[in-house]
Amino acid sequence: MIYDVCVIGSGAGAGPIIYELSKIGLKVCVLEKGDIYNEKDFSKDEIALVRRPIYTPKLKDEYHTIEEFIDGSWQKFPTYETAWSFWNGNLLGGSSNFMSGYFHRLKPNDFRLASTYGIPENSNIVDWPISYDDMEKYYEKVERVVGVSGEVQEYEFMEPRSTKDFPYPALQENKIVNLIDKACEDLNYKVIKTPRAIISKQKEHRNPCYYSNYCGSYACSSGAKGSSRASLIKDALLTNNVTIIPNAFVIKLNTSKDKKITSAVYLSKNENKKEIKAKLFVLAAQAVESSRLLLNSKDENFPFGVANNSKNVGKNFLSSSGGILSATFDETNLPLEDLLASGLFVNRSLMDWYYNEKFKGGTVDILFEHANPIRRASFARWDENSELVIGEELQNKIYNNFTKTRTLNMEIFTDWTPNDNSFISVDEKYKDKYGIPVANIRIGAHKQDLEAANFIKEKAIKLFEKMGGKNIVSDISALPSSNLQAGGCRFGDNAKTSVLNKYCQAHEVSNLFVTDGSFMPTGGSVPFTWTIYANSFRVADYIKDNWKNIII
Amino acid sequence: MKRRTFIKFSTITTILFSSNITIARTITNDSLFVLDEVLNIIFPKTSTMPSAKEFKALEYLVVNISHKTFDNDDKSLIIDGTKDFIKAFPNFLNLNNQEKKELIFRIIKTNNYAKSWVSKLSYYGIEAMFSDPIYGGNSNQIGWISINHNIGYPRPSKTYGQKI
Repeated sequence: MIYDVCVIGSGAGAGPIIYELSKIGLKVCVLEKGDIYNEKDFSKDEIALVRRPIYTPKLKDEYHTIEEFIDGSWQKFPTYETAWSFWNGNLLGGSSNFMSGYFHRLKPNDFRLASTYGIPENSNIVDWPISYDDMEKYYEKVERVVGVSGEVQEYEFMEPRSTKDFPYPALQENKIVNLIDKACEDLNYKVIKTPRAIISKQKEHRNPCYYSNYCGSYACSSGAKGSSRASLIKDALLTNNVTIIPNAFVIKLNTSKDKKITSAVYLSKNENKKEIKAKLFVLAAQAVESSRLLLNSKDENFPFGVANNSKNVGKNFLSSSGGILSATFDETNLPLEDLLASGLFVNRSLMDWYYNEKFKGGTVDILFEHANPIRRASFARWDENSELVIGEELQNKIYNNFTKTRTLNMEIFTDWTPNDNSFISVDEKYKDKYGIPVANIRIGAHKQDLEAANFIKEKAIKLFEKMGGKNIVSDISALPSSNLQAGGCRFGDNAKTSVLNKYCQAHEVSNLFVTDGSFMPTGGSVPFTWTIYANSFRVADYIKDNWKNIII
Repeated sequence: MKRRTFIKFSTITTILFSSNITIARTITNDSLFVLDEVLNIIFPKTSTMPSAKEFKALEYLVVNISHKTFDNDDKSLIIDGTKDFIKAFPNFLNLNNQEKKELIFRIIKTNNYAKSWVSKLSYYGIEAMFSDPIYGGNSNQIGWISINHNIGYPRPSKTYGQKI
């Protein structure tokens, strides 16, 4: 059978394509590396979700190499040596199942960073080939279809909106927000309620949030979280136009002499090689793996990998810079009953420093430390001098941490400045258990990113101090966040400097679109997911409107 | 005796880190007794917290250590470390409780291999205390109850994310 569309991956970049194209009657085949799970399969099991590689591969079997600049040279380290996994969810719906769902739109200037702030030395910042106005209606569509809850509040850098309110009211909040709001008022900070991709009221088959106390890192048992699986693919399946092949690890794209993709070769669960033919291919395997697949798909038509005759695939990998601050709060700050009330959200963000007169700043999201009792108790195993704590001291520390205090975190997101030392490549020396070269991720960060993060850190510390937080610690780092991946196949008008055109169609391969975060030339100072969803809806519209021309 | 055994334990450490000795990957009865005692020293009963015996730390370890997702290096460290400890301190089980405690507290301050071994036991001991009882520890939710933890629902009906 020749499908109309073959989609590789099923996360946020894939969901809108599957949803939209199946609804107009196209036959869509989805190749998902992981298995198919449903709400009933998910539980709040810390061992399965956080402590063991259940929804991601074992790193000894399938790893990446991380290339760091050490002692004057770039050196590669397999992730099985460090347990620093860049896998984020091999299952239907991908990592969107496990996201916290902190949803921020990019802002108009994020689309024109080069022309607004100039191009710093040693950076590859460019303007996007589209504007915020091109994307706005798709951000709005995500609010309705995927579901975003929140409350629209005016602030200096707020982006224009075509609708007045979010379609879903803001989620319920822990009383610590009163402390945050008061401290921000005293400091003249404008704090806003964080929009979340979590619905607060029923939406067809999806039940509203039930405040389980286990959200980020956990798949949702009610369907409230706007995973690609719950919010899009389940509906798409009702069309009977979607075929999902689970446990299908795509290892190569075959091409024809006229430089079109003819088939995707995948390994089944039993490691048998199989092939899917389609008229159109949409790649959305998350940025690192998408570039890896293109780079590994070498043939006589594309000796450097599919869509890579310009040698741009893998370049300008993006993550998020920034870091995390934490402080503990106790009954001197808030009655314990209120402080320890579980399940309720904090949902506060600071965007006062998103722009700065001199440089691009970033975002602060404020949230409680995740519920995970094993992880939280594990911090008590070591004292401030890195000595092992055991016995009564360990037991008392665990008891006091859980029953008398609560940790509040501030996560800082600043732009990851694209540069020549941030890219994805493959190396024949490093192969997974199937014999396929793994992705190498060179993680060189631009010095500007750390400067922006440290600038915001000082503002954040003042807030914790004003709130009366104790044990304030910060961890600002130039290392990427492995769950925030973009770039590698940037879009642009010039085929010599970009992989995709402005509709995310490969310049060199007319029947290939890439719709995960790979297309982004710059990532903004927020998590990428909302933008990935919105862009995928935008691309789906283009494919629908131009179907006949595309598949000629 | 203690001084001599400590020196011996240090010697074993040196050998282990300098060569590729293959050691059988089984937990012997002696190892189980020792692990039970050491876990109880790491997690003693207090006025607020349950002991390792109460939250069934050893049972958790035995049930889960052979699962395919259990880290192989951790498994080796726990099993080999216990064997080496027994070789270094063959009379450990005959010591009184205070002597046992003093020995464990001393070796983690003076011997990196011992510190790694005890650290790994505390790592999995905490898993035993706060994981869902379906895994064999946290007996009757005693760990969660001790810290007034609000459980997340639904709880797992199968281990390791198996589909329903």
